[in-house]
Amino acid sequence: MGNENEKPTFTRMKTEDSTASEPHPTLFMPLTVIKSLENKLVLQLKDFFLTMQEFFLFSLRAFMAFPKMIRYWRDVFDQATICGTDSIPIVLVSAISIGALLAIEVGNLLEDFGAKTMLGRSTALSVIRELGPLLMGLMLSARFGSRNGAELGAMQISEQIDALRAFGTDPIAKLVMPRLVAALIMFLPLTALSDFAGLQSAAYMAEHYHRIDPGIFWNAVYPRLAPKDFVVGFLKAPVFAVIITLVSCFNGFSARGGTAGVGRSTIKGIVVSSGLVLIANFYVSKIVLENM
Amino acid sequence: MIELRNVSLKYGDREILKNVSLTIKDNTIKAILGPSGVGKSTILKLMLGLIKPNSGQVIVDGTDITCMKERSLYSIRRKMGMVFQGNALFDSLTISQNLGFFLRENLKLPEAEISQKVAEQIQFAGLEGYEDQLPESLSGGMRRRVAIGRALIFKPHMILFDEPTAGLDPVSSKKILSLISSLRHNNNLGAVIVTHIIDDVFHVADSVAVLYQGEIIFDDVTEKLHEAEHPFIRSILSDKILEL
Repeated sequence: MGNENEKPTFTRMKTEDSTASEPHPTLFMPLTVIKSLENKLVLQLKDFFLTMQEFFLFSLRAFMAFPKMIRYWRDVFDQATICGTDSIPIVLVSAISIGALLAIEVGNLLEDFGAKTMLGRSTALSVIRELGPLLMGLMLSARFGSRNGAELGAMQISEQIDALRAFGTDPIAKLVMPRLVAALIMFLPLTALSDFAGLQSAAYMAEHYHRIDPGIFWNAVYPRLAPKDFVVGFLKAPVFAVIITLVSCFNGFSARGGTAGVGRSTIKGIVVSSGLVLIANFYVSKIVLENM
Repeated sequence: MIELRNVSLKYGDREILKNVSLTIKDNTIKAILGPSGVGKSTILKLMLGLIKPNSGQVIVDGTDITCMKERSLYSIRRKMGMVFQGNALFDSLTISQNLGFFLRENLKLPEAEISQKVAEQIQFAGLEGYEDQLPESLSGGMRRRVAIGRALIFKPHMILFDEPTAGLDPVSSKKILSLISSLRHNNNLGAVIVTHIIDDVFHVADSVAVLYQGEIIFDDVTEKLHEAEHPFIRSILSDKILEL
């Protein structure tokens, strides 16, 4: 009995010794978590750079398809109607709203300084340089970008893009290039329209809300606008056109996993292109204003 | 003739095809049989050069297309017509526009000649009166026939069918299989049929390759399939439809 009592004691002691010499399993946990996070980060970075490479090649192919513009003029025309004419209402609504709001708020602020006559100047600068093109870009990112993402995503999922390739048609030349050309052409007049509508609504609010004579308002606008103000605003149109079209089309082409995949790629296209539009808006303004 | 030599393909870590070798001779109908998701459709896409293998060669009429650039592949692809599983008809175009799409896109033919070729295919597919309808207004069987007509309009040497009877009712399936059989007899066309329905194989195919877990486990004339001893083939012969 005595021997039997000793055995468990010896065994327990040995166990205690062995656990004392090796780190407790729970000590491994943070290391394992760090290692798995590290692996995850490396994989995500690898994915990111691969996607960037694919996007670059995709964009290059879209630009290199420009000589086929004449062959696909009907598609260019159709896309110009979609991103241009059909987008006029949403561009007008956003420009008119923001122009009116800007006139009310800036007018109230200027009134405190007794400088209400400068309302035309301040709203014109804000609208032409920043808000007109930016709002147009964001609206088209939502409207034209989402359409591209969903349409091309659905075509990808239903193998229509593979069918184009299988029968000898370059899908980028047929589907992406016309959208890019149409956006490059139509974003300029849409920016002009957005600026015009924003200023008109600001002038209307200046007259009816702040009781500023239209002559005073417009006199503060036109003589004081410099060429660089227009360059800043209108240079953004082609930049936004390239960003919105290529990002949304690339995401459409990358759609995988059925209808849910189309939804994911469309959302990704809108989010990424909207973010890039905001960043590009800042840098275009900064670069042009610093150099002109 | 289409040849796959020791083709292997991976999607990420998943090995889809392992050392697959296949030969499809002209004027014959070859079926590729296997359960869903095993990589059968991938073989068709490899034959068209739509995807590239990780290793091995794809040879079409003596030309190695494995490393060919997209632009050079267009002339090779015109030798083959493809009928996609979901038909891949352009949903914004009418039936006749779908049929004439690639003639207008790729060949500088007079409009009268295109219209004549489209009319021929409409008649072949038995779709008179539906020329101006959109694909969505047609039944599954009709859409499949439009897809076959579209693949035939180039007068290819070989047609690739991805699950030609999947999702169709028995009557439509029978019509499609008869249509495929008639292609070889009337047009001297070869065909590759990817399917998971074993009855389709016995109905139209001269030879059959069975793909299982990324490998070809049987490749011989259709009649010899009954003699195969592989447990998977034995099981599919008793079950008829593969739902694995």
